[in-house]
Amino acid sequence: MRILLVEDDSHTAGFIAKGLKEDGHSVDLADNGKDGLFLATTETYDAVVLDRMLPQLDGLTVLRTLRGAGNRTPTLLLTALGDVEHRVEGLRAGADDYLVKPFAYAELSARLDSLARRSGAADGEPTRLRVGDLDLDLLKRVAVRDGKRIELQPREFRLLEYLMRQAGRVVTRTMLLEAVWDYHFDPQTNVIDVHISRLRQKIDHDFDTPLLHTVRGAGYRLGE
Amino acid sequence: MTARLPRISPRSTSARLALAVAASFMIAFVLLDAGVYYAVSALLTKDAREVVRSESADLVAIQRKAGRDGLIAELRARAAASDDPDMLYALADPDGRIVAGNYARIPDHPAGARWIEFHDHSVDDIPRVVAGLQLLPDGDVLLTGLRMRSEDGFLALMLRIAIAALVVAALLGALAGWLTTRWVARRLHGLDATAARVGAGELGLRAQVDDSDDAFDRLAHRFNAMLDRIEDLLGGVRHATDHIAHDLRTPLTRLRHRLEQLRDRAEYEGSAATQTELEAAIAETDQLLQSFGALLRLARVEAQAPTPEAEPVDLHALAQDALELYAPIAGARDVALHDAVRATRVRGDADQLFQMLVNLLDNAVKFAPASSRVDVRLGEHEGRAVLEVADHGPGIPVEERERVFDRFVRLERHRGSPGSGLGLSLVRAIVLRHGGRVELLDNAPGLRVRIGFPSA
Repeated sequence: MRILLVEDDSHTAGFIAKGLKEDGHSVDLADNGKDGLFLATTETYDAVVLDRMLPQLDGLTVLRTLRGAGNRTPTLLLTALGDVEHRVEGLRAGADDYLVKPFAYAELSARLDSLARRSGAADGEPTRLRVGDLDLDLLKRVAVRDGKRIELQPREFRLLEYLMRQAGRVVTRTMLLEAVWDYHFDPQTNVIDVHISRLRQKIDHDFDTPLLHTVRGAGYRLGE
Repeated sequence: MTARLPRISPRSTSARLALAVAASFMIAFVLLDAGVYYAVSALLTKDAREVVRSESADLVAIQRKAGRDGLIAELRARAAASDDPDMLYALADPDGRIVAGNYARIPDHPAGARWIEFHDHSVDDIPRVVAGLQLLPDGDVLLTGLRMRSEDGFLALMLRIAIAALVVAALLGALAGWLTTRWVARRLHGLDATAARVGAGELGLRAQVDDSDDAFDRLAHRFNAMLDRIEDLLGGVRHATDHIAHDLRTPLTRLRHRLEQLRDRAEYEGSAATQTELEAAIAETDQLLQSFGALLRLARVEAQAPTPEAEPVDLHALAQDALELYAPIAGARDVALHDAVRATRVRGDADQLFQMLVNLLDNAVKFAPASSRVDVRLGEHEGRAVLEVADHGPGIPVEERERVFDRFVRLERHRGSPGSGLGLSLVRAIVLRHGGRVELLDNAPGLRVRIGFPSA
């Protein structure tokens, strides 16, 4: 992927750029809002990572200008302010996702993957999801693996659906909480891990190949 | 606002004050009255003596001019038709027999006395008499006296008026004392109520001042200045911690990045031991970052304006989601979550209210003994939305219950368990922002957290 990174803190920028390059992306870096806006309008990118607080032109203004000009490049907004109001403000300005500093690189990487994929697979909602021999029928709300039906609670179904939509990609705990529980909050304990292990019990227990993997230091990944 | 006045008991300061005021009034009045009475009485006696002296001098002059017979004639004439019926005359010969006059005897008196006082028993009202004795050259004794009828009547009237005035003064004193007491009590009651509520955590509250610059107003001003200072100090401490958290976050994030890079290199180089060590270091850093994050979140909630105008949030749905979120973790410890939640709405921020529920459930499940139950109740009570989370864990001793809301306070015996010591601080900040109240109660055994919100 070709990614534009607009971030004024050189250390954070270097750290993100290094990670993205290691993941095989090509990265253009701008350290102020003006240059960022110039690059975003003149070049074509698969995704933009945009800091909210920037010299010369702040991130929200850059984003509004881009969206106003019809540029729909998936954008991940970075911020040190984790307020709900700020998040809502950022999403209203046209951000596709929002990440609060400090974050682990894995979190950024996972969200960026998810963003790029979301924009790529815009051609109609699927009614079935399939990963390996696991089938999820979104209309009948039924999960079947290798011909065997798996009984799922509604929340477990949503969890599995989200994991399957992100199949092959790392999904962080925060992403799961936001997507499956719809709340922005700080989980006190690893409450999400227990849900995952219950789900794993149902979809992986009686089968030879595990599908739900734990990615250490990052989150989870569903795939063969 | 109508201040509830304290009852006046005899031992209370206010009652003592009322009595003291009344007593002072009475003592002052008695002293004043006695002084006036004796002054007037002395003045009247002096006047009477003056009258008696001049009468006596007249008579002595007559005796000198017209002799004893002339005096007797004059006395008889006066006894027959006196200018003043209260004047008494008596002339006694050296043997003590009355020769002339309108009074029949000379009362016993010390030898050589010039002035005597006695009561005239010859008339019904037995008036006091002030009399002068004059020894005449021929050995006779002339008594000239004045019945003090009008003077004593005047004094008696004065005494009656004084007593009446004293009664009125005592009543007025008691009334003034009572009113003063009431006024003082009301002024103090305001201060007292403010102090009590500030003590209970409403640090923004101030005593009412009326700018009259009286002692109470000055006290209220000083009291408020003291509260300002306390708030400043607390704010200072809070700001310091928040700044520390904010400023340390960036270097900590860099530290985490470096550790991550080191771990990746170790992974690449295949040194598993180093990798494990670095994993642990990253986990520790994450915990620090999480604490700082919680601290900043807390600071933000505390700085936010209250939410009376916010959209109503379905607290019932939030509670069910939170219960569902915690069901597996509770199940893993065989802790049963019993819920009795009814439709309840509160105005505010859904994410924050969910955070509050999560923190409460997290605590309850964490401290609940294995195979026990945690009760979550939610309902409307007297126009308020009431949420209760009760566990059967070790509970919190009464003397610690206020303290656990402070930042980083973790009870001694909980030191070993995971947690930042900010969970309940955040709960309280969220509850206060939503205009609610949080109480920690005994669940015998265990802790029962009760939260009341104004319901939407």
